[in-house]
Amino acid sequence: MKKILLVCSGGMSSAIVVKSIEGEAAKSNLDLIVKAIGSGEYEDEVGNGWDIVLVAPQIRHRMKVFEGRAKELNIPISVMAPMEYSPMGGKKLIEKIRNMF
Amino acid sequence: MEKFFEFIEKVLMPHMTKISEQRHLRAIRDGIVSTIPLIIVGSFFLIIAFPPIPALADLVKPNIGKILFPFRLTMGMMSLYASYGIGYSLAKSYRLDGVSGGILSMAAFLMTSVPQAVEGSGWMLPMDSLGGSGMFVAIIMSIFAVEILRFLQNRKIMFTMPEGVPESVARSFEALIPATVVLTIVWIIRHLIEFDIQRFIMDLFKPLVYAGNTLPGVLVPILLITFLWSAGIHGVSVVGAIARPIWLVLLNQNMKAVTDGAKVLPNIGPEPFFQWFVWIGGSGATLALVLLFLTSKSSYLKKLGKASLLPGICNINEPVIFGAPIMLNPILAIPFIIGPIITGIISYGAMALNLVARPSVIPPWTLPAPIGAYLATGGDLKAVLLVLINICITTIIYYPFFKSYEKKLIKEENEEVSA
Repeated sequence: MKKILLVCSGGMSSAIVVKSIEGEAAKSNLDLIVKAIGSGEYEDEVGNGWDIVLVAPQIRHRMKVFEGRAKELNIPISVMAPMEYSPMGGKKLIEKIRNMF
Repeated sequence: MEKFFEFIEKVLMPHMTKISEQRHLRAIRDGIVSTIPLIIVGSFFLIIAFPPIPALADLVKPNIGKILFPFRLTMGMMSLYASYGIGYSLAKSYRLDGVSGGILSMAAFLMTSVPQAVEGSGWMLPMDSLGGSGMFVAIIMSIFAVEILRFLQNRKIMFTMPEGVPESVARSFEALIPATVVLTIVWIIRHLIEFDIQRFIMDLFKPLVYAGNTLPGVLVPILLITFLWSAGIHGVSVVGAIARPIWLVLLNQNMKAVTDGAKVLPNIGPEPFFQWFVWIGGSGATLALVLLFLTSKSSYLKKLGKASLLPGICNINEPVIFGAPIMLNPILAIPFIIGPIITGIISYGAMALNLVARPSVIPPWTLPAPIGAYLATGGDLKAVLLVLINICITTIIYYPFFKSYEKKLIKEENEEVSA
């Protein structure tokens, strides 16, 4: 089982993407725990045993801040591409997640 | 259009995001954002105290004083809460103890007030400056307090406890010298020399607050936000870092006018103006575009429209911005930028001419726009009408661009099928 953390501005739009990932993961029998948070919760949440961090494209200008903390904890982190970050982007994101393992 | 995106990506975006990521501005934004639940709930008591239905208004009238207490103790002291939030966030960003930073900031802010002795009741604190009007005072005092804390701790000017003392105890001792320095400095300036720090800071920021309420002052944030979003950057979170304190001061003045029983409120430009009348369906007024997608003959756009409708009604539009995409799309970015300018001007005009009430309440931003606009204006049905008109206008503006983009997609879809 892998734990995936999604970060966006307020944790709202990423919640939509979480649904899309979960749907696709169920189809391909992938055991994932996916959670959406707002950037304000990142500092406190990222240390709670997450395996992968995915950052929403609209806050990619803050990547340096997110990256710094993830590197300290040795967690792979990546920005989602615009077309991945949509209700229909789950499939592409699953591929991306697989490549990050 | 290529050149335009290049300008946004290479010039506007790096500068704007750099400003918004500046440590102090980030702390201000995070600190103020942490008070928003109190502002939303507190402001709702304004509607309860002054309901839009006359029969109801008569009913609650005898109890207005009591009903307004939750408002007065949240919104009415917003700057006090914000000072803690700002101090906490700023201290955290320096990897200092957040709680110490927050408490020190609150003390520094409170020290700028002068308690008044009231006969029979003891000492009272004038609440006016604790509310939104004191926002900039809270910001400056919080930064001052945390910078002193950092300065002293960096130079190891503090009591260090021997090992074995519990961390929480050690920490409270560590904050002793910073607290002494902060309190003494503010005390000398405000209470011994009697220099009115509050007045000074408020006057300093007055032009900024004034500008935020003018038509250009409303259009500039609109433009910057759609520019940034058309490059796929969260415009509101960037621009809000600078504009939010101004919006709150403006909102506070309107709320005060409501409690004073004013018929016409002083300001047009607090945040609810943008949220409910301009950003219908999210930044760029994309609800109109989603509605057009629902009618599309392109299977992709139709699917996207269905998936984006509910989020769109709740003003979440990342699915459309990244899905359509609008981001870096030379066709859809044009109405995305033009639409909000037009509806911004129309809405500003409608409020300037007092055809529609001005905003005084902050409803949660995920409400559907007509409901949000109704609540934000303290229950003005004409506000709902204005929202509907704005949806129609943005639909008309999006339509030709939608058609031309649809044509392109249908062509691609047909090619895929035949290939």
